[in-house]
Amino acid sequence: MDLELSREDIEFRDGLREVFTREVPEEVRRRNALSRTTRDDIVASQRILNAHGLAVPHWPVEWGGKEWTPTQSHIYASELQRNSVPQPLAFNVSMIGPIIAEFGSEEQKRQFLPATANLDIWWSQGFSEPEAGSDLASLRTTARRDGDSYVLNGQKTWTTLGQYGDWMFVLARTDPDAPRKQQGLSFLLLDMTTPGIERRPIDLVDGSDEVNEFFFDNVRVPAENLVGEENQGWSYAKFLLGNERNGIAQIGTSQRVFADLAETAADIPTETGALADDPQFRTSMHSARTTLLALEATQLRVTGASENGQASPVSSLLKMEGTKALQELSKLRMHASAEDGMLLDAGGPGEDPLRADDAAVVAAAQYLNQRKLSIFGGSNEIQRGVIAKTILGL
Amino acid sequence: MNLDFNEDQKLLFDTVDSAVGRGYPAGGRAEATSSELGWDEGVWKTLAELGLAGLTISGEHGGADAGPVEVYATLEALGKHAAAEPLLDGVFLPSWLIAGLGTEEQAEQFLPALAEGATTIAVAHAEPGRPWGSAPSVTASRSGDGSVVLTGVKSPVRHADQASTLLVTAVEGGTTGVYVVDAGAAGIARTDGRSADWSHASQVEFAGTPATPLAAAGVDATTVLHTAFARARVAVLAETVGLMESALAHTVEYLKNRKQFGVPLATFQALVHRASDLYARVELARSMALWATATVEAADGGAGVDLAAIADDAFVFVGDAATAVAEEAVQLHGGIGMTYEAEVAHHAARLTAITESFGGIAAARRRAVASESALRVPSALLNNA
Repeated sequence: MDLELSREDIEFRDGLREVFTREVPEEVRRRNALSRTTRDDIVASQRILNAHGLAVPHWPVEWGGKEWTPTQSHIYASELQRNSVPQPLAFNVSMIGPIIAEFGSEEQKRQFLPATANLDIWWSQGFSEPEAGSDLASLRTTARRDGDSYVLNGQKTWTTLGQYGDWMFVLARTDPDAPRKQQGLSFLLLDMTTPGIERRPIDLVDGSDEVNEFFFDNVRVPAENLVGEENQGWSYAKFLLGNERNGIAQIGTSQRVFADLAETAADIPTETGALADDPQFRTSMHSARTTLLALEATQLRVTGASENGQASPVSSLLKMEGTKALQELSKLRMHASAEDGMLLDAGGPGEDPLRADDAAVVAAAQYLNQRKLSIFGGSNEIQRGVIAKTILGL
Repeated sequence: MNLDFNEDQKLLFDTVDSAVGRGYPAGGRAEATSSELGWDEGVWKTLAELGLAGLTISGEHGGADAGPVEVYATLEALGKHAAAEPLLDGVFLPSWLIAGLGTEEQAEQFLPALAEGATTIAVAHAEPGRPWGSAPSVTASRSGDGSVVLTGVKSPVRHADQASTLLVTAVEGGTTGVYVVDAGAAGIARTDGRSADWSHASQVEFAGTPATPLAAAGVDATTVLHTAFARARVAVLAETVGLMESALAHTVEYLKNRKQFGVPLATFQALVHRASDLYARVELARSMALWATATVEAADGGAGVDLAAIADDAFVFVGDAATAVAEEAVQLHGGIGMTYEAEVAHHAARLTAITESFGGIAAARRRAVASESALRVPSALLNNA
């Protein structure tokens, strides 16, 4: 066993840190640490990363990929999180990019991949529907072939940051008579300026509107915007599941939140001294600390296994336990702030609260927002089902 | 960076796994612990033949001079079968104390016999009503001719009934030391019984019992004791992982096979999801135990790490998982899980005893929470701050 990074890995890590901390502006990283990242922050950050060849390292080499070792990929995901760099937009770099690179036509690759890497195109995800959440294959949006286009009708929901979307990748039903619900689905690329699209923002419990509903009323999608083969959309969507799992446990993010809270605690007064000396706080922090150590060790085991060419079945575990740990830390942050952390806005909905650059002030908004972590990307209940079925054989 | 066994360590695990597995059929722990020895004689002999009693002992004293990962592989395999052989209590822990504290003559006297598996030594530290970390109330007094006698009570002393020698912690003139006592010495009164994990444990009273200090000149007994106990707290986690994995496997099988309301229990999602949560806890605990083991190995290689703090962190985390697994495995089995005959009861009993061993989980948590490391940013790698 060996608990040290190699000299090469340290050089690699330091090179990343150089770009992340010198090139990505500090205020962008600061806002990201407070979950107050703007659209412009995400665009600016991804373009900086792309200019340094660091936006799409997991794509095929001809489209900007890096062929990193599993250890390097782990370091990359971890350092992005530890340094509060806004993640490259997942819809672009982890979802549609790899799908087009794997299944798209040459024309689609040329048209979309460079612009997707540079976030010149902002992609939205058109998967979930009101009656198709965890049970995605039950989706009802239809795409009827009509001449040289598909006609899209239906509704998508939970479209994260869809208000900024230039294009949307849509999973729609092209064969309503297919014998199984997973069959008869197709993967379409939709220009959001097409007539017939209506967006409605969904107001969230934390005062944000980062998710949306979209309604399609006879929206025409040119047939050349079909990805791969008609009725094979489910297999492309499933391809995503086996894709990039580094960073899924958000350990780097949790380490950063832990560091920030541990440092701040010395200056947070209690009736008898400082929060840093409060036994209850220290007990909670110790529990978070050991959980993070165990999670990181698990991540290292997974990375080590993939260095040896073995797949590890524990990504469900990492997703579930990693996000629980981060949620727990955001709760500790909120308890540390108490009423100071309760301010959602000042001067009206959508406005920042006073002192919005203070982690103490936005603690409740962040806590409430992070409830999403155990719901999206396969809820914890789905993950338990996956563990039971694929690992325990139950 | 690597938290896996190498090929030799894998082979070691497989060898111990199959050797112990043969000696421990279903219900094996109940039978082994109710024997006069308190463990299985055949399995012990096999372990000794494989050289495992000498794992932590240097080559010059007839041992294998192996590291913490070999200890881990061996003890995880024992745990998998809920085996009762006292490798850790009766050999590894005393070997660390003797190597760390003893004179060369004492090392010569005890270590080769331990390495052969010819004898076991009991470490007597726990005392009734006294916190593990406090100075012992057993006293050592020295007369004019230099001879030393011990007075006081130790309990529980694990496997004292079979030990040829006891290593007893005691205070002499305000200083804690470790003393060698022959099991047959005058002035010892031993009351034998069983511990919660069904293994043998005794109360041992010393009334002017002749003893010899385990002391090479200039060695601080407290430091060596703390380090040896820290090593033991990490080592026992390997057994814990083996026990937890087995308890979960038995529970999963039970959910598949047991029928109520005309259907297998695995039909009920409420139960299945609890098994999934247990799986997550076991795997995280395994990662923690492997990480702590790798950290001890790094410390042996000269890395500057705080062994006691790492042992506490790992013991608390894995111990919490052990409690959860023990409770849930019994609960998911229902009443049958509480019976002496049920496999899962063996695991639950041993897991329960482990969480209270070496001072117990609550004390470990108190130390960890009070330590400055409680608020230190966690990083599993040593050079990745």
